[in-house]
Amino acid sequence: MTRSVLYTSSPLLASKTPLWRSKMIVAMLALGFVGLGARAAYVQVFGNDFFQRQGEVRFARTLELPANRGRILDRNGLILASSVPAASIWAIPEDVDKDDPEVAAKLRKLAPLLEMTPAALDAKLADEDKTFVWIKRQLDWDVGEQIKALGIKGIYQRKEYKRQYPEGEPSAHVVGFTNVEDHGQEGMELAFNKELAGKAGSRRVIKDRMGRVVEGVGEEVPPMDGQDIQLSIDSKIQYFAFQKLRDQVEKFKAKAGSVVVMDARTGELLALANYPSYVPDKRKNLTGEQLRNRAITDVFEPGSTMKPITIGIALETGKFKPETPVDTTPGRINVTGSTISDTHNYGLLTVAGVIQKSSNVGTTKISQSLTAQQMWEGFSAVGFGQKPQIAFPGAASGRLRPYKTWRPVEQATMSYGYGLSASLLQMTRSYTVFANDGRVIPATMLKRDEPPVGVPIFSERTANQVRQMLALAAGPGGTGQKAQTVGYSVGGKSGTARKQVGKNYAAGKYRAWFTGLAPVDKPRVIVAVMVDEPSAGSFYGGTVAAPVFSEVVQQSLRLMGVQPDMAVVPQIVANPVEESL
Amino acid sequence: MLRLNLMLLLALMASAIFLVHSQYESRRLFTELDRAVSESRRLATENQRLEVEKRAQATPLRVEGLARDQLKMHSATPAITQYVQDNGRLETAP
Repeated sequence: MTRSVLYTSSPLLASKTPLWRSKMIVAMLALGFVGLGARAAYVQVFGNDFFQRQGEVRFARTLELPANRGRILDRNGLILASSVPAASIWAIPEDVDKDDPEVAAKLRKLAPLLEMTPAALDAKLADEDKTFVWIKRQLDWDVGEQIKALGIKGIYQRKEYKRQYPEGEPSAHVVGFTNVEDHGQEGMELAFNKELAGKAGSRRVIKDRMGRVVEGVGEEVPPMDGQDIQLSIDSKIQYFAFQKLRDQVEKFKAKAGSVVVMDARTGELLALANYPSYVPDKRKNLTGEQLRNRAITDVFEPGSTMKPITIGIALETGKFKPETPVDTTPGRINVTGSTISDTHNYGLLTVAGVIQKSSNVGTTKISQSLTAQQMWEGFSAVGFGQKPQIAFPGAASGRLRPYKTWRPVEQATMSYGYGLSASLLQMTRSYTVFANDGRVIPATMLKRDEPPVGVPIFSERTANQVRQMLALAAGPGGTGQKAQTVGYSVGGKSGTARKQVGKNYAAGKYRAWFTGLAPVDKPRVIVAVMVDEPSAGSFYGGTVAAPVFSEVVQQSLRLMGVQPDMAVVPQIVANPVEESL
Repeated sequence: MLRLNLMLLLALMASAIFLVHSQYESRRLFTELDRAVSESRRLATENQRLEVEKRAQATPLRVEGLARDQLKMHSATPAITQYVQDNGRLETAP
């Protein structure tokens, strides 16, 4: 008989189920449990990555912690550029219900806040297939608040940062600007983009159903704010320099102009201004003319402002002294078939007189006793043809051809500043050799804590002699008398360079230069001015550029608190003040 | 034996409830901290914004304009300046 399971004691109900069936059921159930156990072990222990990730996606979020872009400060810590929060408005066009009269009314209110016409706003919202449209980026924060208050469905905003430049136009070329993504595009913003930018941090958090952060997980990477950059620029001097330059450019109906003010002891640039300029916050319709930082990126033939350098080299050889006579009669000289002439016949001059009267013939005669190599070495040593060691994008190196290719007539023209080119910055820097007792010091746009060690080029005596000649040139009987200031002795050389157009010099197109230093005995500032194509009235460096030099020197020295070194008639009147009861 | 088990059960329950409470408390405090941190960040940016605004109100252009027009001031020249030496002596320009 087959074995079966007895489910009941009643023989009537006895089933004929064989025992193996129930055993199989038990076995299958056991197998099922083993399967579940294995699956559980897999999910919990071995293959849990996937599930944990999926879980985390649902409650954990990585938040970016934005880093602030560093500020740009002037030498006194005043802000030249800083980031402020701004609201950027975006929309999901499909969600904006334009047919609803209430929404339509709100949209009409929105348009003026965005400084857009209602039609332009409608055009932005027209394409309903798009799921994301920028309406306007980087609006002022309070405008963003007003838009938030309108509460239009489908219009959202995002917090961004925008750069603000409180000094505006005067320092635009120095500071530069950033684009909408906060990357530097021009000037110091570009040169120091890496330092200014900083690094965004991040942290992982758990959010609850309401979107509130309830817990931080893992380590938080704190944001690294960008460094502040402190420039050597003094914003007050910068402003005055820009203002004087602008007035002069407009007065003489010139095309453009630049001015550079340098601390004669440290090589720090106190001001660097160009006109035309632009307002960094409003950059629509910007032209290349406005954008160019002429003082650094453009090179020109310096003309007569070069003469002091040539004379310095000549004095250094020991062949000349300031009182050595130089005969410039008859105001012309023939160099291998080309004629070099002066505006007048100055007759018999001294070396000092050559600078004072700005005689091309005299300079040519002096340069003829120098070798091309001597001149080239002198010019290179003070920075001509060399890329300036300055952290600024697009700094031009100018042109100084190797001396072996110089023809005699070229050597002659170079001695008075034609046939080579330099930027206004290079010109300014070259004069540090006279201001610092023969040492040339590197220029910088960043604040220096201690004066740099200069490279000796000339002897102290030569530097002093040239300074006295510069004082003569800016004094009575010189070409730059309009450079005089009240109370401070000044020395400087004017220059009027004909502009080259194509291969030839253009008729009636000039650049007026003036480069000089003050006070003469212990120079504190070097100022260089260039006005491009003055077209009304005069075009001479002595009449167009020298007055700018004068005013800029006057203001700079006053702001620096330098005591006058010349007699001034005091006008201090002690007014008795009536005491009130 | 049973008494001990009951005691342990009670202790376990109490500890479990306390765990829930402290977890809740920690999350509450975390949220509060988070809110305070974002508030401080907001205030810092606000401060920066105001500083820029202050600076924009104090540009040389504006200061000069106000000094000249409203306060009827004019710039100092060496002729009307008294220079004080480092040693405290007062002298006018030479």
